[in-house]
Amino acid sequence: MNKSKDVLLEVRNLKKYFAMKKGFFGGNTQYVKAVDDVSFYIKRGETLGLVGESGCGKSTTGRTLIRLYRPTDGEIIYGGKDISKMDDKELIPYRKKIQMIFQDPYASLNTRMTIGDIIGEALDIHKIATGKEKTEIVHDLLSRVGLSPDHAIRYPHEFSGGQRQRIGIARALAVKPEFIICDEPISALDVSIQAQVVNMLSDLQQELGLTYLFIAHDLSMVRYISDRVGVMYLGKIVEIGESEELYEHPAHPYTQALLSAIPVPDPDIVKNRKRILLEGDVPSPINPPSGCRFRTRCMHAMPKCAEIEPVMKEISSGHYAACYLL
Amino acid sequence: MNKENILEVKNLRTSFFTHVGEVKAIRGVSFNLKKGEAIGIVGESGSGKSVTSMSIMKLLQHPGKIIGGDILFKEKSIVNTSEKEMQSIRGNEIAMIFQDPMTSLNPVYTIGNQIKEAITRHQNVNREEAKNKAIEMLKIVGIPSPSDRINQYPHEFSGGMRQRAMIAMALSCEPSLLIADEPTTALDVTIQAQILELMKKLKKEINTSIIMITHDLGVVADVCSRIIVMYGGLIMEEGTTEEIFYNPKHPYTMGLLKSIPRLDLGENQRLVPIEGSPPDLLKPPIGCPFAARCPYAMKICEKNQPPYFETDKNHRSMCWLLHEDAPKVEVDTCVKRGKI
Ligand SMILES: Nc1ncnc2c1ncn2[C@@H]1O[C@H](COP(=O)(O)OP(=O)(O)OP(=O)(O)O)[C@@H](O)[C@H]1O
Ligand SMILES: Nc1ncnc2c1ncn2[C@@H]1O[C@H](COP(=O)(O)OP(=O)(O)OP(=O)(O)O)[C@@H](O)[C@H]1O
Ligand SMILES: [Mg+2]
Ligand SMILES: [Mg+2]
Repeated sequence: MNKSKDVLLEVRNLKKYFAMKKGFFGGNTQYVKAVDDVSFYIKRGETLGLVGESGCGKSTTGRTLIRLYRPTDGEIIYGGKDISKMDDKELIPYRKKIQMIFQDPYASLNTRMTIGDIIGEALDIHKIATGKEKTEIVHDLLSRVGLSPDHAIRYPHEFSGGQRQRIGIARALAVKPEFIICDEPISALDVSIQAQVVNMLSDLQQELGLTYLFIAHDLSMVRYISDRVGVMYLGKIVEIGESEELYEHPAHPYTQALLSAIPVPDPDIVKNRKRILLEGDVPSPINPPSGCRFRTRCMHAMPKCAEIEPVMKEISSGHYAACYLL
Repeated sequence: MNKENILEVKNLRTSFFTHVGEVKAIRGVSFNLKKGEAIGIVGESGSGKSVTSMSIMKLLQHPGKIIGGDILFKEKSIVNTSEKEMQSIRGNEIAMIFQDPMTSLNPVYTIGNQIKEAITRHQNVNREEAKNKAIEMLKIVGIPSPSDRINQYPHEFSGGMRQRAMIAMALSCEPSLLIADEPTTALDVTIQAQILELMKKLKKEINTSIIMITHDLGVVADVCSRIIVMYGGLIMEEGTTEEIFYNPKHPYTMGLLKSIPRLDLGENQRLVPIEGSPPDLLKPPIGCPFAARCPYAMKICEKNQPPYFETDKNHRSMCWLLHEDAPKVEVDTCVKRGKI
């Protein structure tokens, strides 16, 4: 893949396996191969969208990038340095530069702290502001995400699901990070606020030169915010390219199926359109299929797909896909 | 009560008595649900969708309280039902899929044990049968290697897998009323389609009534025949799915429809959010709650809460614009039939 000096993050052959408890009768330890040999890069100021089915490894990729998990294998090169094997102390500066907005707005907020304290905490930890200045920053952040400064003295359980998600966004923004991993930041939000938040994220990107990894399953929103999009299937990236190109000319049969299944908010179309329904069950990341992982559900599968895994092939400038049809 | 209805909600009012004052989350909500019918409740974050469903389930946490109105389930008021009786109704007759999966999943038990528990509580089966049924339910909601997965704990599941485990639990007792609060937000479109099919099947085969709470208008269009649009603790508009999409009467509904991302939007076009933010329910506005953000707001809108105007037999809206003396406005609906 083409690299240039403004690449902020490069991931090479990243793997993250989780050991599963042995069954009652023991036997060999099994592994959930959540992320299994994934490579991509993100340029400074760019947004890379990451889409794929539930359980395909999107959150694990994000969590490994911010080193909540230690990778099983592979390299994570951030600003020219490999952070994949760094210890907690070496990671301190990166804990400020890289922030994550978590998928689960319930689990990620401390229920005993007020909203103001939750957002202010990061400002304390990284010694960014104190006292009145801190209060001002907190209030400003709350307004930015569509909440009111009055909310600062209230507790997370007093807020609806969508409101909590916005608190998480305000918290991530507080320390002025340069790279934000947004794990489904808008799926808990209603459409009108989704639009507000997406517009807000793009404005902030312009203003502050932020770089995003934007994880989602809503393909329409991903196209809208991403410069490039990667499609994940069962722990692997099967297609990656500029968003327009990928949406106009999806090359991998899996991408094609995903695009055809987007729900449309129009009852007439819903009744009449054709979906490419994927046949068969989602295979397990514990025993993934041999060869191409998508072959068990692919309507074009051929014998050789079961034998050797197809490699990424450049089909047009910057547009890669791994499929024997290409 | 009309015999055809499984549920009637009458002028429901729910408040939270917090340390900073009374949050008036639901301020007079009424609607009916027929047997075997699916309705959608849509509306912005904080509009009161979850609190409405928690009130029906009688699962409001302190300091939340139903302070007025009535809820009839199968012709019987459940507002004053004892917690013991409610427990047998919940899970048996009314099942709920929560917006937060961890509300119904216990982190210290395996997924399998929790689904088995739900099954044995309501069905007369032995342990082996319960286990097989649990595995089958996980398989139906698209979880691969279900027989290995039942031994895992919730934190070992991905976000969407947790949500599906909870759906499996709720559906395994074949309820007569299913309340689904954002059931598919964490799910990708293919699995979402699978789960919506499953719900439609329940509706058809065992006549389950469904209340589907979601911000995804695509989901509503797919499953529901009627839509309730909520804002600021009130129902702003109610009508058939067709009417709401193609003939909305309330400016708030129009705003919602306009903010949907569409695949035909050009790359550099901005989405059209509804400007401003929802009212603070600590001090709800005395007039129409949407007035402050409404492009058509008139003087009266700030002073008086509008009544419902019926524009059709099954279509009502709380908006002064529908008063016969109000100026006529050019309606901008955005969703054009069959074009998106
Ligand atoms: N425990 C509580 N204490 C105080 N206020 C609360 C509490 N729970 C909910 N509220 C308030 O009630 C209002 C309605 O919340 P609700 O959870 O019903 O919103 P919602 O429509 O489900 O939104 P979302 O789409 O974000 O889930 C909100 O303003 C919220 O802040
Ligand atoms: N802490 C963990 N321990 C064990 N297994 C895990 C853990 N976290 C994730 N997994 C497993 O890794 C796989 C990928 O999970 P991940 O959360 O990355 O999926 P995802 O793509 O984010 O899915 P979703 O869209 O549902 O959130 C799943 O099979 C999951 O069960
Ligand atoms: Mg995830
Ligand atoms: Mg809610």
